[in-house]
Amino acid sequence: MTQSERTREGQRLTGVSRDQRATRKGGGGEAAGDNSTLGMKVGNLAAFYGSFKAVTDVSMDIQANKVTALIGPSGCGKSTYIRCLNRMHEVIPGARAEGSVTLGDQDIYAKGSDPVVIRRRIGMVFQKPNPFSKSIYENVAWGARINGFKGDMDDLVERSLRQAALWEEVKDRLKESGFSLSGGQQQRLCIARTLAVEPEVILMDEPASALDPVSTQKIEDTMAELKKSYTVVIVTHNMQQAARISDYTGFFYIVNMGDPGRLWEFDETEKIFSNPERKETEDYVTGRFG
Amino acid sequence: MPRESFQQELDNLTSDVLGVGREVGVSLENMGRAMETGAEELAARELGVDVRYKARGAELDRDSMILQARQAPVAGDLRLLYTVQAVTNHLVRSGALSEHICHALAETAGAERDEDLEAALVEMARTARNIFNEGLDIFENRDIDRARDLQAKDDKVDLLYSEAMNLIANPSDSGAGAPEWRMRAALMVHYLERIADHGVDIGGSTVFLVTGQRIEDAMRQYIERDVNRDEE
Repeated sequence: MTQSERTREGQRLTGVSRDQRATRKGGGGEAAGDNSTLGMKVGNLAAFYGSFKAVTDVSMDIQANKVTALIGPSGCGKSTYIRCLNRMHEVIPGARAEGSVTLGDQDIYAKGSDPVVIRRRIGMVFQKPNPFSKSIYENVAWGARINGFKGDMDDLVERSLRQAALWEEVKDRLKESGFSLSGGQQQRLCIARTLAVEPEVILMDEPASALDPVSTQKIEDTMAELKKSYTVVIVTHNMQQAARISDYTGFFYIVNMGDPGRLWEFDETEKIFSNPERKETEDYVTGRFG
Repeated sequence: MPRESFQQELDNLTSDVLGVGREVGVSLENMGRAMETGAEELAARELGVDVRYKARGAELDRDSMILQARQAPVAGDLRLLYTVQAVTNHLVRSGALSEHICHALAETAGAERDEDLEAALVEMARTARNIFNEGLDIFENRDIDRARDLQAKDDKVDLLYSEAMNLIANPSDSGAGAPEWRMRAALMVHYLERIADHGVDIGGSTVFLVTGQRIEDAMRQYIERDVNRDEE
């Protein structure tokens, strides 16, 4: 698929053109309180590594303009699951997913869907900050440029850095290397890089686990702003972080070693952290196991 | 077990709350006996317990706050700490009210009494003490089925309250008792009604601890369910 075809595919998938999206998200980095962001719907999802079933039977409505946190003990399939949400799981040789995942009304696993377009519409921020070996400016601009962005690049870079709450700290050093930033700043740079390609959904896999408390707080504050314009899904091992920042929480659990991970309980965050339905959830969030 | 020391701290805190509760229970027992037998010296011995209970309550509040700050409790642990603080407040208030009653008894020792009103007071004291002890027992054993029954038992206290107030407002021509005693009796009626309410609230707090639901919400659901059933 050519670049222009991918752009058209992206517009078809979301029903919104890049220009429209740039307009509705506003200039100058102000979160626009967008209510038209798309949510996702997951039905009976299973994920495999070769013949090993790592995740099974996950169904979940991911609400638009909300933060959904995924928690659970190590090895229960949270990261595998979140990677299925933008087709990154299949990048691993032998890995595949079954079931349905829709963004709005569009099945992202439908025949003909381009994974590259999907990954632009559903961006991912990883555990470890991974800026490119480029300037701060180019880290943000690069993704948009290769996706055919024709607008005002300076404006896009500033808007993305503002949304990632990094602009004020880097506006006078945009030509410096991304590696010159602190760990927390690098992670926010990666968030800005993700935002620059105008995704609908932002997936975050333990985005603050390698950061100090101050940087973590900035990332959390950023997420509170981002959800006004985007749908956010975050994997975290930090229970209090999930309680602080998310609107919905999904608890993943493995019944027996070697079994696939399952979505054990999914509810509003305040319910999960005050009065969960299932004993295993209670035991996990109160630190009785895991 | 993970968080073993935290669990131990929660257990110790709960045990300390129950310890204060039992002490308040003894105070209520002494108050009731002093009222029933006119034992002025027994009532006088209870004077000063209020300060002790308030100090213990402050210690429990502090311990609870420290645990919240250090352990960031959620779910059942959070509900337990919330409930411990609520129950502690009920215990301290009950102890203070018991002392107020003993104060009134000691100061009106030897004053002429209205026998009917005194009988109502004694019955109220006995019932309030039972409700308080039962509330504490519900908390200790997480026996929430009894919490709703406790509310029904409180109705008896409310009836005795009305009866006593009626006797205070409409004294009989003979044996109305000394004015000073009647005035104190009105206060004692009010204090006893409050002690019973604290016992009921301890039971209600236990419902929240176990289920995460307010007992008022649970009762409303129960009532609405019955109404719907009747409509069918």
